[in-house]
Amino acid sequence: MKTILKRISILTHHETELIDITPRILELVQSSEIQNGTVFVLSLHTTTAITVNEGLPDLEKDITEMISRLVPEGQAYHHARYLPSDGQMAVNAPSHLRGALLGFQVFFPIEDGHTVRGSRQTIYFVELDGPQQRTYVVQIMGE
Amino acid sequence: MIDFHTHPVMVKELLESDPGLVQRIRDAFGFFFPALPLEGFLLEMDEAGVEQAVLLPVDCTTAHGGPIVSNEQIAHLVDQNPRLIGFASVDPNQADAPKRLEVAIKKLGLRGLKLDPALQRFYPNSTEQAYPVYQACAELGVPVLMHCGMSWTPLGQAKYAQPLLLEEVIQAFPTLNFILAHFAWPWIHEATMLAVKYPNVYLDTAILYSGTPQDALQHVLVEQVGINVVERSLWNKIVFGTNYPRIDMRRCGRGIQALGLRPGTLKSILSENACRLLGK
Repeated sequence: MKTILKRISILTHHETELIDITPRILELVQSSEIQNGTVFVLSLHTTTAITVNEGLPDLEKDITEMISRLVPEGQAYHHARYLPSDGQMAVNAPSHLRGALLGFQVFFPIEDGHTVRGSRQTIYFVELDGPQQRTYVVQIMGE
Repeated sequence: MIDFHTHPVMVKELLESDPGLVQRIRDAFGFFFPALPLEGFLLEMDEAGVEQAVLLPVDCTTAHGGPIVSNEQIAHLVDQNPRLIGFASVDPNQADAPKRLEVAIKKLGLRGLKLDPALQRFYPNSTEQAYPVYQACAELGVPVLMHCGMSWTPLGQAKYAQPLLLEEVIQAFPTLNFILAHFAWPWIHEATMLAVKYPNVYLDTAILYSGTPQDALQHVLVEQVGINVVERSLWNKIVFGTNYPRIDMRRCGRGIQALGLRPGTLKSILSENACRLLGK
């Protein structure tokens, strides 16, 4: 079995932002030459998410507004204190909790060299505490 | 909006060019978060609504073996983007500190002085070490941003950073503007007393000890100092500062705007007072 692991870094531009990474994932699967297997996409951060939805600007706005409604700023979160291991004030509990709701990874099967996904499924890297430099991992496994 | 208190200790290009600086930032400054390209810092400013940021170094050569970002490195960053305003730092424990300050202001074009007595290990009322630096600053016509109160730096000692040590200095240098950082927390009332009394004393809002920026600002400015005191006696004596990257610039901006200050007071704190101090 062949395994390929790619780390992809991006500089995000906004506090909350849905970035379409579908073309990059499809391209990596194609160039891997793996015909049958699985592609995993994983964010390396706890204040980001990886999610799948229909790639429409109105839905992107709805998702952004939904997570803000579900996890608002200004609540009495425990995670609001100095963190000596970072040298920073940890004041981003909402970002962590929004990430926990959306999830950090997705996977798709690969069949005959193509990523199997619904025609309306767009893969998003979701920034929840930007702007920052972020990395996600794409692992392609198969034969 | 002007952020009067940022430290460029996370700028990737800077760190990659100076491995010794990386070590000092970890050991002396106590900052461990991953680096960010300069472009990312500018994007962070955009997202926070900050138009300009004051970059602060700390020259702790005698105490800790080198500066936490040198004056030359600050000048290099400022050269790359007009939104960045550079301050200098000199080590009062070095005899040539006044001369170094003159070079930093006149040759490098820096706009003020940052001192951190807690990290640099000097008493700010020391006539032998500190007064010659204040004298140079007064002659050069630039303000001093002075760390006051608790220091998050692992090697910082707050005994050097008590605001009442500064009262005799403030009296001795009446034409020199002092900005007391962090509202001197936990010595808030002493710092407030100095700012209320002396025309040449200012305070910055980089208050962080627990909770969110909004919690800390609410607790200090509204519950402890009192919103009426801010509105009546401190509206022209407070500058917005975040202590970025120790604290989130976006959430600091939202915190100050959530205090319910009058629009004119808010405008003064967010930009006008800073412009006046910078001679803009």
